[in-house]
Amino acid sequence: MPDFLETTVDKFTFKVATDRFYTSEGIWVKEENGRVRIGLSDFVQQRNGDVAFADVKPAGTVLATGEEVAVIETIKVNITFPSPVNGKIVEVNPAMNDAPEAINRDPYGTGWLAVLEVADWEAEHAKLLDPQAYFMIMKGQAEEETKNP
Amino acid sequence: MMEKTQKVIIVPCSGIGKPYGTVSREAAYDVTEDLRPGQTRLVPLALLVLGDEESRSVVAKNPAITIDGCKLACAAKMVQQSGGTVAQEIAVLDIYRRNKDLKPLGIAELNEGGQKLAKVLAEEVTSLVDGIIAGKQGGENA
Repeated sequence: MPDFLETTVDKFTFKVATDRFYTSEGIWVKEENGRVRIGLSDFVQQRNGDVAFADVKPAGTVLATGEEVAVIETIKVNITFPSPVNGKIVEVNPAMNDAPEAINRDPYGTGWLAVLEVADWEAEHAKLLDPQAYFMIMKGQAEEETKNP
Repeated sequence: MMEKTQKVIIVPCSGIGKPYGTVSREAAYDVTEDLRPGQTRLVPLALLVLGDEESRSVVAKNPAITIDGCKLACAAKMVQQSGGTVAQEIAVLDIYRRNKDLKPLGIAELNEGGQKLAKVLAEEVTSLVDGIIAGKQGGENA
């Protein structure tokens, strides 16, 4: 499989990294030795515009799936993102404090949001979308937005 | 050497329908009409995009400060494409990040936060204008 799945809708090209899992809201989840790193997909960052502030829950916060993990303020909107897994935040990307534009510049790399400790990755993993499934959902969302901007 | 008749050109974002674009234009008006009217001149980005000869000529002959409303940086790019020199590049978002309590809202009419942010931005631009002019005068006196 290539490193990225890619589609162009109107004048925008969106990439989906193939080495991680996703929620339908466009949050990516990458397993790293029993912990998971999370962030926002390329489509989510492009759709919402330049990030002004990223407020991620602090390390030590215990979250159930669906509970607020981060609020992102962009030049267009304020968005609350739900945690994609049950877990405890063990690390927050320090760049979110002073350079949250990393989300726009490098959504699958330096723009990560947080690292969470999860008790049962296998169970968490089963609830997530594989890259191909998210790619199809994202493509549909992008095409819909083009029709109804 | 800079000619004495030179002015600092201010080119704000032309984004219509976006608060950050409106902030950039409000600040540009403030600088060119009230704070430094003798030393600056506003050139609308739209005229550069349309290839207006006079605007392109003015931009090509004078140092410019661009004020962009988003990362596309249309103002900075158009000045460069018009043969001009971007002496200073400002992004409204960077000013907002340093003034989180001044969230700009509204389009045709900015909210109070947006108006205050435009004032802060105008002060920063004015300071840059003064720096450019001081640099010119230093060069002329050298």
